[in-house]
Amino acid sequence: MDPLGAIFAFLTLIVFLCSGVFSFEYLKGSKNIKSYAVFYVITMAVELLLCAASNLITFYMCYELLTIMSMPLVIHERTAQSKAAALKYLFFSMFGAYFALFGIYNLSKKATSLSFVYGGNIDASVWVADEKILLISVMAMIIGFGVKAGMWPMHSWLPAAHPVAPSPASAVLSACVVKAGVLGIIRSIWYVAGTGKIPGSYVQKAWMILTLMTVFLGSMLAYREQVLKKRLAYSTVSQVSYILFGLAVGIGSVHTDSMVSSYAYVSDSITGAILHVLAHGFIKAVLFLVAGAAMRYMNVHKVDELKGIGLKMPGIMVCYTIASLGLIGIPPTGGFVSKWYLATGSIATGIPVFSWLGPVVLLVSALLTAGYLLGPAVKAFFPGREYRQDHKDDKPLGKDEKPGLLMLLPVATLTLLSVLMGIFTSPIIEVIRKIFFI
Amino acid sequence: MNNLMDLSIEYSIPGICGMPSGLCFVIDGFRLIYACIATFMWVVSLALSSQYMKHYERKARYYFFFALTYIATVAVFLSADLYTLFIFFEAMSLSSYVWVAFDERKASLRAADTYLAISIIGGLTMLMGLFLIYDASGQLLLTGNTLKINELADMYIMAKAVKSGSLHTQIWAGGFCMLVGFGAKAGAFPLHIWLPKAHPVAPAPASALLSGILTKTGILGILMLTNYIFAGNMEWGVIILTIGVLTMIVGSLPALTSTDLKRTLACSSVAQIGFIMTGIGVGSLGIPMGTSGAFLHMVGHSIFKLILFSAAGVIYMNAHKLDLESIRGFGRKKPLLNVIFLSGSLGIAGVPMFNGYISKTLIHEGIVEAAMMMAHMEANGMAIPISAGTLSVIEWIFVICGGCTAAYMIKLYICIFVEKNSDPEIQAGYDEGGRYMNNIVTVALAAAALIPPTLGITAQKSLNGLTDMARLFLRLPSVPQAHFYSWESLRGGLISLAIGVVLYIGVIRTVVKDDEGRYSDPVPAWLDLEDLVYRPVLMRALPFLCAIGCRVLDTLVDITIVALRKTVFKDSRKTEELKEGTWLTHMLGTAANKAADIKAYFWGLRGKKASKRPDYVHRFALDYTSFKESRTVIYRSLSFGLLLFCMGLVLTVAYILITRWW
Repeated sequence: MDPLGAIFAFLTLIVFLCSGVFSFEYLKGSKNIKSYAVFYVITMAVELLLCAASNLITFYMCYELLTIMSMPLVIHERTAQSKAAALKYLFFSMFGAYFALFGIYNLSKKATSLSFVYGGNIDASVWVADEKILLISVMAMIIGFGVKAGMWPMHSWLPAAHPVAPSPASAVLSACVVKAGVLGIIRSIWYVAGTGKIPGSYVQKAWMILTLMTVFLGSMLAYREQVLKKRLAYSTVSQVSYILFGLAVGIGSVHTDSMVSSYAYVSDSITGAILHVLAHGFIKAVLFLVAGAAMRYMNVHKVDELKGIGLKMPGIMVCYTIASLGLIGIPPTGGFVSKWYLATGSIATGIPVFSWLGPVVLLVSALLTAGYLLGPAVKAFFPGREYRQDHKDDKPLGKDEKPGLLMLLPVATLTLLSVLMGIFTSPIIEVIRKIFFI
Repeated sequence: MNNLMDLSIEYSIPGICGMPSGLCFVIDGFRLIYACIATFMWVVSLALSSQYMKHYERKARYYFFFALTYIATVAVFLSADLYTLFIFFEAMSLSSYVWVAFDERKASLRAADTYLAISIIGGLTMLMGLFLIYDASGQLLLTGNTLKINELADMYIMAKAVKSGSLHTQIWAGGFCMLVGFGAKAGAFPLHIWLPKAHPVAPAPASALLSGILTKTGILGILMLTNYIFAGNMEWGVIILTIGVLTMIVGSLPALTSTDLKRTLACSSVAQIGFIMTGIGVGSLGIPMGTSGAFLHMVGHSIFKLILFSAAGVIYMNAHKLDLESIRGFGRKKPLLNVIFLSGSLGIAGVPMFNGYISKTLIHEGIVEAAMMMAHMEANGMAIPISAGTLSVIEWIFVICGGCTAAYMIKLYICIFVEKNSDPEIQAGYDEGGRYMNNIVTVALAAAALIPPTLGITAQKSLNGLTDMARLFLRLPSVPQAHFYSWESLRGGLISLAIGVVLYIGVIRTVVKDDEGRYSDPVPAWLDLEDLVYRPVLMRALPFLCAIGCRVLDTLVDITIVALRKTVFKDSRKTEELKEGTWLTHMLGTAANKAADIKAYFWGLRGKKASKRPDYVHRFALDYTSFKESRTVIYRSLSFGLLLFCMGLVLTVAYILITRWW
């Protein structure tokens, strides 16, 4: 396992561990616990294998397996709705995987080997000779792996699958499984194909347009969405595209025909992207777990029902608020630092229009994020005098009526991590810079 | 003084919060002054809170965020680079949100939403500016321990800016974005809307801090931009000046007509921020007097608003009302409160012997001098960013707005301390006296009230000393010398005060009071920039339009899939076992049924006859069964076997014959 895989594996371990602990209380008294537990552990194992994969074929096998093994988590409730959602997830992911497979097939023809070596296995002369087919295959891989990462236009499995899955499952889906797509793109571009002629090509432009569209679209739809978990799902759509945009713009703009180097200039926006993988992982897991706690104990499904929740389960909602601030990018949380590197790196590339349009879209999306996450947080803690008057005689909740330690502890741990990684970021940044030779 | 001027202690925590340089702090003269003012204000507010918050619930929440905001605010003032500043700026904005929402009335929550929205929009815009500036200059450190380093920083930016045109644009765009961010916090036009909403609903100690010190962090940022990134840039000066003048106007006018004590003070804050920005703008045109005046007014305004809002707090915690008609006459027979309020009022109105007079005079002199300079430059054929005539107009606007300040302070003072309440019973209650402030509050407010006259009287020493301390940060070559009590200076101040008296008699006593002499705001409530423009556009129209587009894109694939499934990939019907007959008989029967139905329809067979129509599906199935049975019978008969045998024989014979004769 190389350092890049280790970063993803670290995230996987932490999130799976915390959500797993959370599941004990969340699923108490629920049916099908056994199958849930089995597939939960298998999904984690497959995801770890995926991080450890050292060539593209192994990676692809794990990737497919991950889809299949995580599907039963979505189907947990066994309702018609969850079955439909799970099938949608399955078909979308498969579709994406076949797109990627097309790319893998082409790369295997052109590359000296498919094992992961930073800088890629394709000779510069091959890039010059077979530019067209290589660009097409890279584009296919971006779109294919992008399906799992929730990139427009194949993002709509996320808002379908998340609301029906149990919350801890949504948390790991959104925090880890979705990131498998990101890892797939990084692996295939930086470790197999090499950046080659991508900088400045139509592939980079199309990729940037797709990601920026997704960033805005996801935030906007989340802002208009009333179902809490669906809102979070759209938020994931938007946030994962932050990461993809960082990668897209980070390939760089330096490109001369005479000198095609595998080590093209890469910018700090990649640092931001990888940081955001971690930040978004922790934060989104917190948000989904909080949604789960609110669903289990307060029967909250719609966002409006969060009103006054902060008074009933303050610990959980404090975590929610801190996580929301992190996702908006308020310092000193992890979300701020990642956004800082994403945006400054993007501007530094000097790509016409996109170098500044990217940060603008990111900030507009951050504003919308504030709208859709902070609004409920505010209502939860400041429900207004009328609400307090109406609920004055409410009895304090009993021990079994509010989240216990098994829920609070994982949520608090993840929240703490999301803040700590914002304050003590330097070591992580150094690791990432070493990986990508920035 | 020399020692203090050179004071500069740097402290940094490297390697945290994502930047290699980490968090950087510095203490120089300016920052020391403001850290002290902040601390003093927090102490006074804390004293007031001890009595003001007595009857509130959830005090822990209030005090927690009270402390948090203090830490963040002091850190903002002490931060040495824009990155550190931004981090604490956001923390300050968000933790002070709790003050505004604290009351949880509908109005408070609405005002708090506005405050939060403006804070976040401002914060994000500022962040964009930071990105651009950081990229253009490669650093965000804006201070150094000596002037030399400051100059280096400028040179660096300037050199890069000159080198390429796009970088020039980038620095301007970045500077403008940051101006929006800082302006939003300072309460500059057009983002001043949160002040008149948030101040009246926040607890009084919090209002004092919001107005007195939080707005000053915005000014701090604008000073940083002006002194470090756009040092000596006249176009920038004109922008700041324009915004300052507009802010002055939009603050002064509602303050005149408002009939709510705290709202008047809040609008007054907007106006005073306008004064300060005008001073900074003039300073940026190359007149040091403007900058020093702005700085002194900034310091003064912090103190005035502390005093005035605290006094408003004292009134509120006794009378539980804030509209002028209800609290009219509250201050009668309360000499201590009277003196405290008077000190703040005279200070802010710019009456000679108080420090507000000194700072306003400096700004005024600055405008006059700038006009002279522009005229001079024009005469020499140099390009000028703003004409001398415009500056004269600005001078008059400045004087008139100063008059407005005097007028609305007279309004408040006369209403609270001179006039009697229209309801004699309430007045009797007010006059009864008793203890309306506890000891701590009394001591704290009295101490605060001593400051404006002390500074005003010892202006030559104390205020010049303050300016000298802040000289390094303000980048003044020397302390501008002005004769505060010369006739020239006094005349300007007195004209302003005279205009104030005229405005009070001419406008406030006639327009703001209704026929029965009661205070009522002549401006209709719906005339509100926020309700008319910002909310409908930002909350409804824009999201609605964007959402339509996004929804279409969102469902694009889903719709395609559905369309394909309805057309090309249509599922074949499930094959079912027929109860009787075969597909052929079923189809024929259905067709015959349909035909019979149509026939019945056209021939007018309805009711019983129609229902007697035979089911052809069934009939054909029966026919088919009988056909099959008779077929079986035939198959099994001997004659059928013989027939087949004969046919075989015939075929064989034919085959032989053909092969034989071919």
